[in-house]
Amino acid sequence: MNRINKNVILALLTLTSSAFLLFQLYYYKHYLSAKNGVGSSKSKGSQIGFDSTQWRAVKKFIMLTSSQNVPVYLIDPLILEMINKNFEQVKNTSRGSTSECRFFCAPRDFTAFALQYHLWKNEEGWFRIAENMGFQCLKIESKDPRLDGIDSLSGTEIPLHYICRLATHAIHLVIFHERSGNYLWHGHLRLKRHIDRKFVPFRKLQFGRYPGAFDRPELQQLTVDGLEVLIPKDSMHFLEEIPHSRFIECRYKEARAFFQQYLDDNTVEAMTFRKSAKELLQLAAKTLKKLGVQFWLSSGTCLGWYRQCNIIPYSKDVDLGIFIQDYKPEIISAFQGVGLPLKHKFGKVEDSLELSFQGKDDVKLDIFFFYEETDHMWNGGTQAKTGKKFKYVFPKFTLCWTEFVDMKVHVPCETIEYIEANYGKTWKIPVKTWDWKSSPPNVQPNGIWPISEWD
Amino acid sequence: MRNQETQLFDLICHSPKKGTQKAIVARDDYSSSAKLEGPVKMSSQISPMLRFLKAWVGQDSGDPGILSMDDWKPNPLIKPFGARKQRSWYLTWKYKLTNQRALRRFCQTGAVLFLLVTVIVNIKLILDTRRAINEANDDQEPEQDYDEALGRLEPPRRRGSGPRRVLDVEVYSSRSKVYVAVDGTTVLEDEAREQGRGIHVIVLNQATGHVMAKRVFDTYSPHEDEAMVLFLNMVAPGRVLICTVKDEGSFHLKDTAKALLRSLGSQAGPALGWRDTWAFVGRKGEAECHWADTELNRRRRRFCSKVEGYGSVCSCKDPTPIEFSPDPLPDNKVLNVPVAVIAGNRPNYLYRMLRSLLSAQGVSPQMITVFIDGYYEEPMDVVALFGLRGIQHTPISIKNARVSQHYKASLTATFNLFPEAKFAVVLEEDLDIAVDFFSFLSQSIHLLEEDDSLYCISAWNDQGYEHTAEDPALLYRVETMPGLGWVLRKSLYKEELEPKWPTPEKLWDWDMWMRMPEQRRGRECIIPDVSRSYHFGIVGLNMNGYFHEAYFKKHKFNTVPGVQLRNVDSLKKEAYEVEVHRLLSEAEVLDHSKNPCEDTFLPDTEGHTYVAFIRMEKDDDFTTWTQLAKCLHIWDLDVRGNHRGLWRLFRKKNHFLVVGVPASPYS
Repeated sequence: MNRINKNVILALLTLTSSAFLLFQLYYYKHYLSAKNGVGSSKSKGSQIGFDSTQWRAVKKFIMLTSSQNVPVYLIDPLILEMINKNFEQVKNTSRGSTSECRFFCAPRDFTAFALQYHLWKNEEGWFRIAENMGFQCLKIESKDPRLDGIDSLSGTEIPLHYICRLATHAIHLVIFHERSGNYLWHGHLRLKRHIDRKFVPFRKLQFGRYPGAFDRPELQQLTVDGLEVLIPKDSMHFLEEIPHSRFIECRYKEARAFFQQYLDDNTVEAMTFRKSAKELLQLAAKTLKKLGVQFWLSSGTCLGWYRQCNIIPYSKDVDLGIFIQDYKPEIISAFQGVGLPLKHKFGKVEDSLELSFQGKDDVKLDIFFFYEETDHMWNGGTQAKTGKKFKYVFPKFTLCWTEFVDMKVHVPCETIEYIEANYGKTWKIPVKTWDWKSSPPNVQPNGIWPISEWD
Repeated sequence: MRNQETQLFDLICHSPKKGTQKAIVARDDYSSSAKLEGPVKMSSQISPMLRFLKAWVGQDSGDPGILSMDDWKPNPLIKPFGARKQRSWYLTWKYKLTNQRALRRFCQTGAVLFLLVTVIVNIKLILDTRRAINEANDDQEPEQDYDEALGRLEPPRRRGSGPRRVLDVEVYSSRSKVYVAVDGTTVLEDEAREQGRGIHVIVLNQATGHVMAKRVFDTYSPHEDEAMVLFLNMVAPGRVLICTVKDEGSFHLKDTAKALLRSLGSQAGPALGWRDTWAFVGRKGEAECHWADTELNRRRRRFCSKVEGYGSVCSCKDPTPIEFSPDPLPDNKVLNVPVAVIAGNRPNYLYRMLRSLLSAQGVSPQMITVFIDGYYEEPMDVVALFGLRGIQHTPISIKNARVSQHYKASLTATFNLFPEAKFAVVLEEDLDIAVDFFSFLSQSIHLLEEDDSLYCISAWNDQGYEHTAEDPALLYRVETMPGLGWVLRKSLYKEELEPKWPTPEKLWDWDMWMRMPEQRRGRECIIPDVSRSYHFGIVGLNMNGYFHEAYFKKHKFNTVPGVQLRNVDSLKKEAYEVEVHRLLSEAEVLDHSKNPCEDTFLPDTEGHTYVAFIRMEKDDDFTTWTQLAKCLHIWDLDVRGNHRGLWRLFRKKNHFLVVGVPASPYS
């Protein structure tokens, strides 16, 4: 009796044990599958590469966004470049006939997508669904720079980046915000202190190292690796924009402090000047953009942007800089075509070129051409009466985007060096009497033009 | 939120006959505790997370070594300890078996093998998960995996520091002893004979875990349950409640008390039987609302945990909806026009206003921005309740200038946030918005684009009272800017108004400033006969009850949806003159010998057009008009609603024109 009892117990014990083992195995399997992505689809052996975690993550992400009607588009430079190279092929392969995963399966840590924020209807709901689908998302927020220019407003934070990880692959969703000046802006991916630095290899991210500004792209639908994606129609242009997309914000806080000290000039004359200067600048920007000539704010206009985020009302002209290698003879005719007659042309393409156009309401547009030397840049100046030449020397600089009077324009990224070269350390103090021949600290006499070369 | 907060631990032991038992129950359900974070954070920064609660439940003081699972009935919410417990149990049996080593060695070996495999698999699992965890970050999600993978083998460990703290509560309930420990400190221990019978209640501070009250209610005796109800009702919301029974606590536990326990989230408490042991740990909420777990209700919960006094938004049963999804407008021309709601600190107004705004046909909530003048929390909560964007503004200057600066900042911000917009709709927090507000704008906004002689489109007719407005399809051109729900052209703002907006030291009303000829420069506004907004604000900077009663209460407000406006293009500058001349030519001249203030001034007809002439020497001579306005009981504080010395209104369902002679070109 006792023995039978023992037998029964033993059998029971074995049974329990095996049940338990099964349970453990189930969990283990579950765990493994979660780790490696779903391994089950390996059975579809005919298609190559479609079981990679990259493809899987992208597919899930696209499923998620299209089901939620969130119009994300692909901006990953790596993939866009590949698509660009094989564009005809991609266009011709219809859905389903792809046998090889060529683009989304390429080894990489991230796939970058973009979204225009105002088209996103249900952000919070989307976030939740993403998490339910297995994505682990990191949301980077920051205050809205569009409110920075206005004193004393504090809004809810806006999302700048989402990084959603699925297994070992991450989707980087860059949120583009519309800015005044018809461009899209994305923010700096700044990690707050509590954020885990190892969530993804942040250093390898293609976007977010700096804030960026882009033209609003037109989009097109494409089937890539069996996935329906939107990509910028002119992806070439978009790819070209990426390395030069860095954006710097105007220093609104400092500008406010400046106006507290020096008070803004709100007289009618100041306002009319600002208005015509703004129109002139807009016209010049439009014309130069059409010609494909890159320019930046220089001299007084640049100082106005940097110091007070506005046009200096007593500056009397608009100053632009252009690299001499970007010079095109059509510039003059193009400006004349939009109603800006050439007032002066100083120097020549090889030396000290400067163009001066007459705008409306007595506002002048000065274009200085910059020459690059091994360790510095310079532009020239000429005194009309005497033919005296001057040289203005600047440390080397690169160009960044910024927003100025409702426009996206370039300024030197190394603005403070640029301005200090031009206006000295005391640039913060407004000076109304400025002699362009002697006041700038970086001016050097550069001889005199021979009479024969005078126009 | 309230429900999850409360019901954290609740279990009962039903069958006292079955000998001794002791249970370890861990409640470490991540999903539920994760939901706790919101309100806990809100109520106090140092609120603890009630995340791990242990309870010891036994009958008599017996041998704690053996656990018999089927003896007690756990609360279904509580997941019993899984694997490890089973294993120790198993080991006990195995140990007994090995003493009888004579027989069934084979079976034993088999069992041991099985066990070994199980253990190996288990260890592998743990190691793998550990490694995965180490690789992962300390975000919430990996922890969730961690928890799952381990099959709840270990009490949760929340990594990362911060205000979230674990309150470790042990509760023991039996015939002869009750015992409660919080974070290892015994706060109640009663094993004295023949006393302390009934339900012991302990109240803990939810932030610190300190004991705030300790009571025992001998609910075996009559009326003690009433005292308990009284006591529990007095406990402040948010406190942690611990209940445990010593000996017997059900005999005189009446329905009221049981209902209260149920409302606190207890499931076993209301079913407490004779000499049952029972322990309960929960957090007190105010009411128990079982709203479905949706995005909307999450907002609702957040709102209701912070503020009160918004009617049925926070009621448990059939709360007022906070999403309205009105019908979309076909061919909506104002779908992408930003809407700026200018608000101060009148959150109840804002609530009413946003409700009506979000119920209007053709509204697009993502275009709405609420600008709050000052760092007030409650208006912000209202904005968040409806899931809208709210922006706070540091007040600049005082009184009217403060409002004016707030307007400027709000308008600038609106055009910055929506750089593509050509117009902005400007609303105030004390307006009801008509159901066809956007339909009205959609049908008329092209005028603002095409006609440079227009200053604005407004939803408000200053002279549109119950007795002076009739036709919802009719529009007017007027020289005065009414405000109170209007559309501003971006170019007008950016090029003209913004640069010379009154500075903070000028104590001007923004609307008075906008009405000044320097700004208006002869341009006019389009208004409807029947207003599409209603000004309900009684408290305000320039407002009081008497004033409201006299000038705003009887204002006509359109409630008909989808009104088709008539002849919109006749509102353009030249066309309107033609229209006015047509009207005048067919108008019947009234008998000027009668007193215009008398009701009999107009005949008792319907649908006629009448004209009356009043004295008006110069363009700015409104003496007679003001007199007339006064006796008509319409706006008479300054001149409103005129168009070149002509006023248009309705009297007794007749169109009534008033022309100023000789200043008006129509005289």
